[in-house]
Amino acid sequence: MNALPRPSTIFLAAITTLVAVLLYSPLFVPIVSSFFTISHGDVDWSSPTLSTYRALAENHDILTALRTTLIVGLCTVVLSVVSGTLLALYYHGRRSGRSILQFIIFLPFLMPPIISGLALLIFFREIGLERSLLTVVIGHTVFVLAIVYRTVLMRLQSMSRTLVEASYDLGATGWQTFWRIILPNLSSAMVGAAILAFALSFDETMITILVTGTQSTLPVRLWAMMRLGFSPDINALVALILMFTVLLCVLAARFLIPRQMATERS
Amino acid sequence: MNQNPDLLTLRSVSKSYGTVAVLHDIDLSIRDGEFLTVLGPSGSGKTTVLRLIGGLEPLTTGDIRLDGQDISRMPINKRPFNTVFQDYALFPHMTVSGNVGYGLSVRHVQRKEIARRVAEALELVQLGRFADRFPAQLSGGQRQRVALARALICRPRLILLDEPLAALDLELRRQMQEFLKSIQREIKTTFLFVTHDQEEAIGMADRICVMQAGHIRQLGTPHELYYKPNCEFVARFFGENNLVAGKLGPVQGEQRPIETALGRLICSITDQPHLKAAPEGASAFAAFRPEALHLADATDGDNRFSGIIADLAFAGSSTVATIKAGADNAAQRLRLRTPSRIGGSALRSGETVALSFAPHEGHLVLA
Ligand SMILES: Nc1ncnc2c1ncn2[C@@H]1O[C@H](COP(=O)(O)OP(=O)(O)O)[C@@H](O)[C@H]1O
Ligand SMILES: [Mg+2]
Repeated sequence: MNALPRPSTIFLAAITTLVAVLLYSPLFVPIVSSFFTISHGDVDWSSPTLSTYRALAENHDILTALRTTLIVGLCTVVLSVVSGTLLALYYHGRRSGRSILQFIIFLPFLMPPIISGLALLIFFREIGLERSLLTVVIGHTVFVLAIVYRTVLMRLQSMSRTLVEASYDLGATGWQTFWRIILPNLSSAMVGAAILAFALSFDETMITILVTGTQSTLPVRLWAMMRLGFSPDINALVALILMFTVLLCVLAARFLIPRQMATERS
Repeated sequence: MNQNPDLLTLRSVSKSYGTVAVLHDIDLSIRDGEFLTVLGPSGSGKTTVLRLIGGLEPLTTGDIRLDGQDISRMPINKRPFNTVFQDYALFPHMTVSGNVGYGLSVRHVQRKEIARRVAEALELVQLGRFADRFPAQLSGGQRQRVALARALICRPRLILLDEPLAALDLELRRQMQEFLKSIQREIKTTFLFVTHDQEEAIGMADRICVMQAGHIRQLGTPHELYYKPNCEFVARFFGENNLVAGKLGPVQGEQRPIETALGRLICSITDQPHLKAAPEGASAFAAFRPEALHLADATDGDNRFSGIIADLAFAGSSTVATIKAGADNAAQRLRLRTPSRIGGSALRSGETVALSFAPHEGHLVLA
């Protein structure tokens, strides 16, 4: 299994560990320090405490922003999963127009968010749509659609074409085939895509700042707080978001690993 | 068997994908209750024939008739046929009984009735114990049987099987061949079975339809195909054969001579009117099986020639000799097969021998 001689393996392992520590340790600093108080610019390591979390729970601005974020996230998930799945179903097996469509879908995801945000902002102004949570949801949906579309399409393509043929062959109608064969085989990809879409919507900042009305989502709120100075409850907030995001990603990975592989392992 | 009426008839059916024609003017009748095998090399259009009958592809020209009724335009889910797909196409998210019962449940058959018939079908394919497993938890042979149970539960008029045994190893394939055959006898349903393996075809079929390059070359019983191939392709493709090129001589009753490099060979033309009708001097082949060729003795008058034994190969129950014959004992390569004997073969490598085959064991195919 190991083709390399032993000294170089050790060397490689050391390098990888070093890089990993340098790259990822900043992520854990806020988690650790959120359990300690800061006095005179120094962390007081002597007494762990939950006081930062208590302060966070009393911060109504943040709690409101959190609620807004959740509402936007859920609406975005519903909208993007439904439309992304429909697009994938429609363009699966259809050659004409597909590459153009894919290009358009992927554009907002690949462009710098500030460009996407400005384009949307101008568009909303042209059609006279007031900036509100609705425009935020539309903006987020446009942004995450590529992920949903791609995830569902990939699952569709990995599905054997003969499954659908077998269903018809056994006497099923198109409708029965959709509900009983296609959708169940897509469902785990759709759940995975929904989680990813939610995670992306949750921390989207740039587009949101540009197209939102008076309400702020959590990242926007944080952005505003940071400008006024660093307060300890931000540590707690970052720690919470970090843990939440990790949880989401683990869940998404679970759903996106094909069922076959999962059963083979067990 | 011959009295059985035709179940399904294909009349001048052709199929093109864009400008590429893959089936040319196919005529084929499938009799009610028979086990018909479509045999041909890969790419000859076997799967396409099956997909046209099943309704998975539209015809380009021609029509398909079921009991005399044109069904060419009948949608796939209305046709009383079911398919066993080459990759089985089991629904991965359903259990074995969910898969098998699918054809009934989409027709809104009552739950109780479904459960009863699923149990019955699983019993038939000996998978009763596996009803609650998922396809991923089954072996290849078991999946194969689930696919079969799923196809026959709706009591179709015709079951279409596309190389269903190709993915199985040799031992399992033998078992499944017998198993399929016994099930077909038990449920008395017509089977249309596609394969590229001629041994499989000989072993299972009532009749075989040989395809090549989008044409049907011959349709007949395994015996007819083996002893009366109607063209060079079938003569070469179906079993081992010796073919010697030559020019036809004049018809002599039920026999006809052919002038070849091995001299004048006399072959039978019984029941083959096209060979009677062929003009004198036409190019043809004398064809005789390795087991028909033997060392000549004093009683052999016709079809005598000499050759050198170039090679001897022991193949278990039989021994196969490769023989060089014709001009300078080099022009023509032949095979001779004799039953093996414990004391070793009477043949010696490098020996020059006199050889012969009986006129009624030789036949002709037009070049
Ligand atoms: N969808 C298709 N489009 C174009 N050509 C096809 C298609 N399906 C089959 N063919 C061609 O038709 C020929 C016959 O194919 P097939 O019926 O699958 O042969 P077989 O089953 O005997 O191996 C092949 O040359 C194949 O390349
Ligand atoms: Mg095929």
